[in-house]
Amino acid sequence: MRFDTVIIGGGLAGLTTGISLREAGCSTAIVSTGQNALHFFSGCFESLQEPPQRMLDLFAGAGVPLHFEEGVRLMPLGTFRPAALALEDIDLLPEPRFADKVLVVGIAGFQDFFPGFLCDGLEKAGMKCRSVQLELPELEKLRVSPSEMRSVQVARTLDRIWGKVLRETKRLLMDEDAVVLPQVFGLQDASVPDFIRRGLPVRVVFAGTLPPSVPGIRTQMLLKRRYEELGGTFLAGDEVVSAQVFGDEVLSVATRNLGSHCLEAGSFLLASGAYFSKGLKASPLDITEPVFGLDVEHAADRGAWYDPDFNADQPYLRFGVRTDASLRALRAGRPLANLYAAGSVLGATRPEFGTGAGLAVRSAFAAVDEILRRCAPQDDK
Amino acid sequence: MNTEEFDVIIIGGGITGAGTQRDCAMRGLRTLLIERSDIATGATGRNHGLLHSGARYAVNDPESAAECIRENKILRQIAAQCIEPTDGLFITLPEDDLGYQKTFVEACRRAGIGAEIIDPGLARQLEPSVNPDLTGAVRVPDGSVDPFRLCTANMLDAKLHGGQVRLQTEVTGFIREGDTIRGVHTRNVRTGREEDFYAPVTVNACGIWGQRIARLAGVEIGMFPSKGALLIFAHRINNMVINRCRKPANADILVPGDTVCVIGTTSTRIPFEECDRVAVTPDEVDLLISEGAKLSPALSSTRILRAYAGVRPLVSADDDPSGRNISRGIVCLDHDGRDGLKGFITITGGKLMTYRLMAEMATDAVCRKLGVDKRCATATTPLPALVEETAGKGALICECENVTAGKVDQAIDRLEVSTLTDLRRRTRVGMGTCQGGLCACRAADHLAQANGCVERERADLADFMQERWKGNFPIGWGDMLREAEYTQWVYKHVLGL
Repeated sequence: MRFDTVIIGGGLAGLTTGISLREAGCSTAIVSTGQNALHFFSGCFESLQEPPQRMLDLFAGAGVPLHFEEGVRLMPLGTFRPAALALEDIDLLPEPRFADKVLVVGIAGFQDFFPGFLCDGLEKAGMKCRSVQLELPELEKLRVSPSEMRSVQVARTLDRIWGKVLRETKRLLMDEDAVVLPQVFGLQDASVPDFIRRGLPVRVVFAGTLPPSVPGIRTQMLLKRRYEELGGTFLAGDEVVSAQVFGDEVLSVATRNLGSHCLEAGSFLLASGAYFSKGLKASPLDITEPVFGLDVEHAADRGAWYDPDFNADQPYLRFGVRTDASLRALRAGRPLANLYAAGSVLGATRPEFGTGAGLAVRSAFAAVDEILRRCAPQDDK
Repeated sequence: MNTEEFDVIIIGGGITGAGTQRDCAMRGLRTLLIERSDIATGATGRNHGLLHSGARYAVNDPESAAECIRENKILRQIAAQCIEPTDGLFITLPEDDLGYQKTFVEACRRAGIGAEIIDPGLARQLEPSVNPDLTGAVRVPDGSVDPFRLCTANMLDAKLHGGQVRLQTEVTGFIREGDTIRGVHTRNVRTGREEDFYAPVTVNACGIWGQRIARLAGVEIGMFPSKGALLIFAHRINNMVINRCRKPANADILVPGDTVCVIGTTSTRIPFEECDRVAVTPDEVDLLISEGAKLSPALSSTRILRAYAGVRPLVSADDDPSGRNISRGIVCLDHDGRDGLKGFITITGGKLMTYRLMAEMATDAVCRKLGVDKRCATATTPLPALVEETAGKGALICECENVTAGKVDQAIDRLEVSTLTDLRRRTRVGMGTCQGGLCACRAADHLAQANGCVERERADLADFMQERWKGNFPIGWGDMLREAEYTQWVYKHVLGL
């Protein structure tokens, strides 16, 4: 199988690249192991001060509306953090005190939302607070198995009965002028949070839960749907296991499911994530990139990988694959001519792209430009 | 105000203190246990969790070996809920002298330890994870013991017999009249509240910190802090304890326990100032893995959960710099005869295994001083079991260790929990593969509700994550680092701690 570009990784960086290249008419394949950082997405693009127009267009095209407004967001443990660009479910507040009296609505039996912490934080910010628990018999069968009462399972049920939650919340409202609800709405449909906002007579703020992140999973599904609607190939549940390299050219990669049917391409993008996603692999002696054996910038001494202070910036999170000015990955000090890297596999080696979701999107767009510059798209019909 | 409220004050909330309080309370004494932090925070919670058969000491320290096997048999009867009778193997590897096996087995028999030489093929069958290159094997009645559960059960039984406990309470000085200790000055480390307690006898059961307490009372004990580092693995790869059949050395015991296994230990003399902040070095980690893999090759590819270290409370006897040849024997000092100080007893040395015997010796000494003539019954009276009440609270807080909301709330209600770390020691919350990544904030929510103070809980949650990280970063690679990256992300960027 031959494509213009093969993308390793189906997270934010991989999907951004895939959609952009499809829109430019390139043939593409994405190889995705399944889970990626979008499943733990806070909903906020932390390191992006100013959203590039092409990013807003891309997300809008996928049905993922973003909004931009400098302010703060309410964190699940009741603290506030600066925020500017976020998914529409994440409220960007001009200041922490967004109301006089707030009703925090939890769901009975759902342990991954923290009304106690939220009320404390809101009260510290000068608001009066009351918290209630919704008893939803529809969730009873989830409760039978205690481990099923997680955000995504709750969201799946609430996708059917969110109207009822709306009515119940309205009934419980006394003199409050704002409601805080958990981010467990609209797993399949991005418009549900907005329906809830418009259905309540007071301000609605959604606060996060423990992962998995419902807005993050929805974003991943919508971006993937958009990519596939554009005709991109998405190999889900597969994993690149090895690469064939000749001189400084990557010829093909082999995946676990395709066996001897290698994926050939003119260019390759490595968007395989950091440690959690196995884009980087740490052993007691070394930190490596497992597919191509690329150069990984890291401290040689294991003792220097960590800061004993949990709260400090951890050195190991800065380590990443080395690249040249055009984001081509280096192996034994020399760039591979047609292998680009984007997203958190870069660690903090390219600080100009930022961190987290911002790094994923910005480095992906930069890689797209390099890939398009290198080879004009061929007609894939 | 508190004059003569108690017959005996016990300082130290490890297994020795808890056991001594239970024994004293069972003999009808009015007891108070004072602990500066939480139960089982010292060596009690920082060892292999090995129910020694005594075989390890049979050749070099027959006295300790005999103590071990006697206590081994007793604990199986009185603390069955804390023990897994797994049996153990002492294996000989090609590089070891097979001749030692004979010396070893004879010494075991002299100490009363059932030691049976078995065919290496049978050993491989009994324990498939054992190094297949073994040239000899001896089967002994080793087992594993959960020290947290054991300590909790002792504390609970002491309470049932009227005992009182003050955790988070530091002894700041002794109330002394002439040559007699009458009581203690204390200070609550959380609230700063100072309080005096009086009793005709005080027992120093502070492990390695006993030297400091003795000094506070004006007497000297020469103690010998010996650090032992251990690694805990995320899977239970062995069903039997695996030991090396040779003179005791580093990293030659692999103990299974619940769903995990533990390799240890090392033995390094450390200065006293380091006892409160022992850390495991990269060299120790590497040594534990490479030596451990000789017992069971699968260790080298098994995920490690944590690195930790404890400090053995050895009483120095000679100039051996490693501390290995010092007796693990029990030291019970009546400071009246020794130093002319009345009303003060030190119980130290010993092992987790012999805590009950240590408690008996200390309690006998207390009773002698008080003129109480009552016999010890702890060898025949089973410890109480803590029955989990989960009615309507089956939701899981901690998936890794299967801890329900009911169990968490019960511990908060009944077992003196003020922090997440306290809760962990009593319920195992945060001790599994996620190392608190998922369960810590859920448990924090329950604690905040129980204590009515979210602000304090926020700080407690931060402390708990720091404490988890302390045991994780020394083994930060592979899946552990993946988990750590996830936890960093969740706590810093998603939850906003």
